[in-house]
Amino acid sequence: MAKPQIMPKFGFTQETAEIVRWLKGEGDQVDQGDPIAEVTTDKVNMEVEATASGILAGLRYKEGDIVPVTEVIAYILEPGESLPGNGQEAARPAAEAPAPPAEAAPQPAEAPAREEHVRVTPVAEQYAREKGVDLSKVTGTGPGGRVTRADIDRYLETAEPEVPGKVRATPAARRIAREQGVDLVEVRGSGPLGRVQGWDVQEFAARPQPAAVQPEPVPQPAAAPAPAPVPAGEEQVIPLNNVRRLIADRLQRSFQEAPHVYFDADVDTTRLEALRKRANEKLAEGQPGISLTVLLVKAVAWALIRHPLINSRLEEDGIHLLPEINVGVAVAAESGLIVPVLRQANLKPVTQLAAEMKDLVDRARANRLRPDDVSGGTFTVSNLGMFGVDRFTAIINPPQTAILAVGRTRKMFVPDENDQPVLKPVMTVTLGADHRVVDGAVAARFLADVREALEHPEMMVI
Amino acid sequence: MREITYAEAVREALRQAMEADDRVFLIGEDVGVYGGAFGVSAGLVDQFGTERIIDTPISEAGIAGAITGAAMTGMRPVGEIQFMDFVTLSMEQLVLQAAKIRYMFGGKATVPFVLRMPGGAGTGAAAQHSESLESWFVHVPGLKVVAPSTPYDAKGLLLAAIQDDNPVIFVEHKLLYKQKGPVPEEMYTIPLGQSNVVRQGQHLTVVATSVMVSRALEAGKQLAEEGIELEVIDPRTLKPMDCGPIVESVKKTGRLLVVHEAVRTGGFGGEIVASVAESEAFDYLEAPIRRLAARDIPVPYNKKLEAAMIPQIEDIVAEARRLVKGEY
Repeated sequence: MAKPQIMPKFGFTQETAEIVRWLKGEGDQVDQGDPIAEVTTDKVNMEVEATASGILAGLRYKEGDIVPVTEVIAYILEPGESLPGNGQEAARPAAEAPAPPAEAAPQPAEAPAREEHVRVTPVAEQYAREKGVDLSKVTGTGPGGRVTRADIDRYLETAEPEVPGKVRATPAARRIAREQGVDLVEVRGSGPLGRVQGWDVQEFAARPQPAAVQPEPVPQPAAAPAPAPVPAGEEQVIPLNNVRRLIADRLQRSFQEAPHVYFDADVDTTRLEALRKRANEKLAEGQPGISLTVLLVKAVAWALIRHPLINSRLEEDGIHLLPEINVGVAVAAESGLIVPVLRQANLKPVTQLAAEMKDLVDRARANRLRPDDVSGGTFTVSNLGMFGVDRFTAIINPPQTAILAVGRTRKMFVPDENDQPVLKPVMTVTLGADHRVVDGAVAARFLADVREALEHPEMMVI
Repeated sequence: MREITYAEAVREALRQAMEADDRVFLIGEDVGVYGGAFGVSAGLVDQFGTERIIDTPISEAGIAGAITGAAMTGMRPVGEIQFMDFVTLSMEQLVLQAAKIRYMFGGKATVPFVLRMPGGAGTGAAAQHSESLESWFVHVPGLKVVAPSTPYDAKGLLLAAIQDDNPVIFVEHKLLYKQKGPVPEEMYTIPLGQSNVVRQGQHLTVVATSVMVSRALEAGKQLAEEGIELEVIDPRTLKPMDCGPIVESVKKTGRLLVVHEAVRTGGFGGEIVASVAESEAFDYLEAPIRRLAARDIPVPYNKKLEAAMIPQIEDIVAEARRLVKGEY
């Protein structure tokens, strides 16, 4: 019977060996123990010894071929015997055909069972078992398409969860993600099979980019972290992170889909400032100070009660007038722009809005906002006055219908009732509205009420 | 403190309990003149006589029945089963009678006995003399199960078990009998149901029982050289089990390895794992919980096969390393 001569496994982790040269040729008489080929593995040369006496035949690899261990490289025949498998596969003499080894040759008789399955090196097979990897999912790059250990490592690095929509994560990672408002889908896992570990979430949440929350980005020149100065003559690429990409998509969609129309109003803030000053002097112990932004939110909420069309959302079936007035406020956190939402701002006293605002801003700066904190807004206020901007236009924060952009308060001479110049604090607010929903007159009336509330804040008690 | 062996610690507890309380006696096969199969009771018959150190015929059911009846009539007997394996012959008395009497009589009778038995392999005593059957008893309401891992624990837990008003299965280990450790000379008790954190570390919680405690500690020593710090916890009492320190530890380390000598399937490790999985520690897990236990086969006679069946120090080292390095 023809005795198969296999590529021996010399080392524990060895997967393949290269045939350096054949020491015996096709048809040579060999005795058991004779070296028949010199092979090399990891730069160590070894000899393959004949496992029986007889005639060496059916050399299946040429010099320089890399052969997986345990693969048949030749047969030893008794006199008069022919090669197994019709004897047709026989010699691929050393010099011959460049066809990939093993692949082209018919499988030798002893291996049919294996052939049904994935071709895999013994080391990789063991490794896959240890790692719980389904070999049929791994693409083999080894000789003859065999799966090697390196293939499995590659697979493990990129493995997708087997259940769509599910994330591999440890219980600890899930808890931390819950606490920090992190979406596990966003986090790259460092554990086996890409499993998200607790520290992955912690690192993710601690990163400067606040992908920890799903921000509703505010449509306007965002307070992006200033990149380092670009050296002369060199282009620099800032890869789009998830937040930036989200902002870009939303703003582009908003600006393309919603025809924006803008209305400016100069607002005399004399009384508003007086009110703010007085209110802050009378603050109860431990109450956060009342900012201009909070008063703006209150004024907008007051005006929105009177103009439900502005507090709306356009959908396929029509304009949805929204039952709650939830005012988003653009906040320039160190990590980027986020828009926490003050819910039902029309129903809450200013002191409460101030307290909620402080809490939201603190948590925004600490990257501890929850998804709930930044969703559900029905109108947005963006105040860039503190940056010295006189006035600006903003892109509507979809799916909202309008946005109020607020510039700085500056001193201006304005004519009094006798047409005499009087120095007044003046702030320009710009309403941006979706013209599909809001006609000019509607927007104008809303803006007039906003101005009324800001110039005569006592009206808000009415 | 002076050091004595585990067997001496058990003997000292027996002697002191018998000196202190006339109701305590020892009954078992060859516990008298022969001194017990492992020499635990050597010399006691000379001090207390054959009325209190009682040799029995080869009948484990008889021993279990005798201590059950004696306990009900006001004695505090200590029985000895020569090899834990033979406790199989006394299961009816233990499971159907001793464990249930207090409950079924509405508390009007108690069964305050201790049944001592050496379990465990490692002596080449083959399949019928090497088993670790503690989880059978853990499964029976009414029984307490204790498995001391050191001479100190053996004495303190045995004295506590003798004072306890319930039937206590006291699982000793053949390989521990010659192990030495510090033991106070006076009487002291270790309350039943208190886990013991025997080594502190932050990377992996290892809960080990009986002889596996010292192996886990040795593994901890070796791994410390690699910068891996194991926290090793010995429950000491398997029932009632004190899960608190284990839960706290897992919350700290995020990883749990349970090591015991009994075969894996149906072993006590499953109970520990389940308790942790049910607890608040679940939210702190960073890896699957792993068990290291004997293979599901009868204990082989061949010493090499016997060692291969049962977790050894190097197995604990390897498994702990895999867990900490994130291979699971």
